[in-house]
Amino acid sequence: MGLFILRRVGVMILTALCLTFVVFFLTNLYPNLEKLAKTQGNARMTDAEVASWIDRNGYGGPMIVRYGEWLGVVPGWTRFDEQTEQWRGRCFERGENPEDAPRFCGILQGDLGFSTVSDDEVSNIIGGRLALTGVLMFWAFAVMVPAALLVGVLAGMREGSRMDRSLSTFAIASTATPEYVSGVIFIVLLASSTAGLSPWLSEMGWIEGRTLFLGSARSAMEDGINIWNFTLPVLTIALYGMGYIARMTRASMAEVMTAQYIRTARLKGVSFRNIVLKHALRNALIAPFTVIMLQFPWLLTGVVIVETLFNYNGFGWTLVQAASNNDIELLLACSIVAVFVVLVTQLISDIGYVFLNPRIRIS
Amino acid sequence: MTPSTPKGLERHPAAEMYAREYKAGQLSRREFMTRATALGISAAAAYSLIGLSPAQAEAHMQTPPMGGSLRIQMEVRALKDPRTYDWSQMANVTRGFLEYLVESRADGSFHGVLLEGWEANEDASVYTLRVRPGVKWNNGDDFTAADVAANFMGWCDSTVEGNSMAARMGGLVDPDTGVAREGAIEIVDDMTVRLNFPASDITLIAGVADYPAAVQHRDLIGTNPLDHGVGTGAYRVTDYEVGVQARLERNPDHEYWGNAYLDEVSFIDLGQDPAAWFAGAEADEFDMTYETVGEFVDLFSAIGWTQSEVVTAATVVIRPNQNNAPYDNPMVRKAIQLAVDTQVCLDLGINGQGITAEHHHVCPIHPEYAELPPLTVDKDAAYAMLQESGHADHVFEIVSIDDDYRRNTTDAVAAQLRDAGFNVERTVIPGSTFWNDWTTYPFSSTNWNHRELGVIILNLAYRTGVAWNEFAYSNPEFDALLDQANGILDADARRVVMADLERILQEDAVTLQPYWRSLFRHHKPEVINADMHPKFEVNIHYLGIAA
Repeated sequence: MGLFILRRVGVMILTALCLTFVVFFLTNLYPNLEKLAKTQGNARMTDAEVASWIDRNGYGGPMIVRYGEWLGVVPGWTRFDEQTEQWRGRCFERGENPEDAPRFCGILQGDLGFSTVSDDEVSNIIGGRLALTGVLMFWAFAVMVPAALLVGVLAGMREGSRMDRSLSTFAIASTATPEYVSGVIFIVLLASSTAGLSPWLSEMGWIEGRTLFLGSARSAMEDGINIWNFTLPVLTIALYGMGYIARMTRASMAEVMTAQYIRTARLKGVSFRNIVLKHALRNALIAPFTVIMLQFPWLLTGVVIVETLFNYNGFGWTLVQAASNNDIELLLACSIVAVFVVLVTQLISDIGYVFLNPRIRIS
Repeated sequence: MTPSTPKGLERHPAAEMYAREYKAGQLSRREFMTRATALGISAAAAYSLIGLSPAQAEAHMQTPPMGGSLRIQMEVRALKDPRTYDWSQMANVTRGFLEYLVESRADGSFHGVLLEGWEANEDASVYTLRVRPGVKWNNGDDFTAADVAANFMGWCDSTVEGNSMAARMGGLVDPDTGVAREGAIEIVDDMTVRLNFPASDITLIAGVADYPAAVQHRDLIGTNPLDHGVGTGAYRVTDYEVGVQARLERNPDHEYWGNAYLDEVSFIDLGQDPAAWFAGAEADEFDMTYETVGEFVDLFSAIGWTQSEVVTAATVVIRPNQNNAPYDNPMVRKAIQLAVDTQVCLDLGINGQGITAEHHHVCPIHPEYAELPPLTVDKDAAYAMLQESGHADHVFEIVSIDDDYRRNTTDAVAAQLRDAGFNVERTVIPGSTFWNDWTTYPFSSTNWNHRELGVIILNLAYRTGVAWNEFAYSNPEFDALLDQANGILDADARRVVMADLERILQEDAVTLQPYWRSLFRHHKPEVINADMHPKFEVNIHYLGIAA
């Protein structure tokens, strides 16, 4: 077991290295740096000014060396700025003496770098944003997993019945609707004062505000979560994943229901209710468990759309900001977090499998 | 009426006509004020035209009740040294604690803030600035002439990368050293500063009212105000997260010299998508917008928000560059002008949200605007003139940036030229590369921002050899007249010269300049003094919420 986890951690580090290098390579291509120079400096810079800006701000030189600087295995760059007669460098503030600064400052030293769009250390930004996304994901899972298992089990226990057909149709429809579609539909239907249900409900005097729910989750960050500001984002995320997990659970349930021991139980005269709850359920949940764990990394991409749509300043929103503003170090930090989340959830899934299914053994 | 308001803003022939109509009962007072102030008359002067006392003139800005908190939708960007601000949004946050010497109001008039008043000599080369007494910094220091002089020194320092104030300081900057000229900034006494220009300069007051001219403490020039928070204003920043929000609250440890009403103001960043702003408005995330654009103007009105509109001198020029054949031929340029109807550009380009212009880049809200005979559009005559010039076979390639209104306006021009029989090709270039060559494209469109005076824009763009002369326009007669106009402080006198300047620009067919853009803002009905400003200024000291 220990060896297994150790090997997994090794794979994780290797994957993180490869992925960050790819992101680093793509964000550091020259046209991208030129765009960065123009957004940070002046939109109307000449080519010569761009070249000088890139060099002065430490984006010059071979890419592999700069990747090393970012990792913290190569000493950070220092330049003497002729214009302001000050030293500038990766590891110290402008105007400070480079002698007093550490030579290395990268991921290995715990320095995630500086975010150009937020004008702050990446480490100061990313923590709070992750916490916000954590809250959103928690509620999404809290809604999605029980609902999906319920739908799946109900549909799978009598394959081909009317209930199975209708629940399956619902599950397929929900998983076939991406967030950017369902989110917009929800907003129009439930959170607009001029369209959808809200004007009607408001006219009937059934709701106090102008809309049934809020089309923006911004107030959830400050005033706390409530049913008005969090329903739509949670529902939007949960709906897509729910259909998928429900389909998996149904397939697994249907298979278990045809197994020999279930037939034996029926012949013995065990009630249908007891068969489902006591005999079938545990075995039917093994496959969905992996699928649920796989939903974590998937949700991480799902929140990109939902957080942007509902103005919730979490991890996904930060990723969009970093990408659209060419904020290289913030983007790299986001990719590290993503790699970490994916591999850790997969590790949990593998270990959890052992406990659910005694036939499987690790190492 | 403060004695410091430039003379030119007191009178305007059209405003006097409106005043007569008001007295004859043909115009309501509100209608009169809207029209007269749109002409560039200060509100106070407008009131005096219809015989109301100056005391009543202050009444156009309401006095809100004390207290309340307000949320404003606006991008929250990283702050830096105010001299190097390149977005009005940055200044709107810091305006809560870093005030300005002078402010320009939506009606085009200038009012002293940290200055009590100012006087210029006859030829506008020596300015005497009188510091407002009784103003304190929130660190306890007195605000004195030393602060004003130190800020002028800082503004004149063109060696600071990105310091756009240096260009606004004009003759105060020594071109050889790049810093303030010896003896240009004089401290006369504790409350008086004198500025000595080598030649006339009538743009100074407009320059120090602009958003990068935030006044910092004398010892803190060149620093990021967020790091120290020292200012003269009534507020202080409690929370600043780039891209998310900025929050200011009334500073309890500071005695503010003026009035401030709100207890707390938040600037809420909802990104750049107007659809997200609208969703935020529906979800009651904020009480007023920074700017409402395009189709969302109608949508915000539809949900019951109050609309505020201001005509500005912001515009688009679709110009040929005279260094490129066949645009060196005035007949070709004239033919282009004859073929294009400004109303069509206004309707198709910006959805009719503005007023038409006259191809000479001086706006009716500029104090020295002179009215010329209306333009004629004649497509047949245009084509005949093009044939006569011998360039009927030329393929006119019109370049524009890839965005919404600039591309649409350029398309409207191209379509009209095609209607007239011109052979037109359109090229659209993405924003990241468009600006590399914006001054040298043979025929392209460019947006120009609002400037307070007509001469400022003519000096920036139409004078021979200046950096932003994208027209490659060179006319010694025009330059000489412009020099003359630059020396006339009185707008009425300057208007006489301006009429000639405008006429020359039209006759030389320098550019197409089809419309002036209106800017819109929406706010909840209970928000007070939240009217749109031509330069997007928000001064939170004035804002309030009705009880």
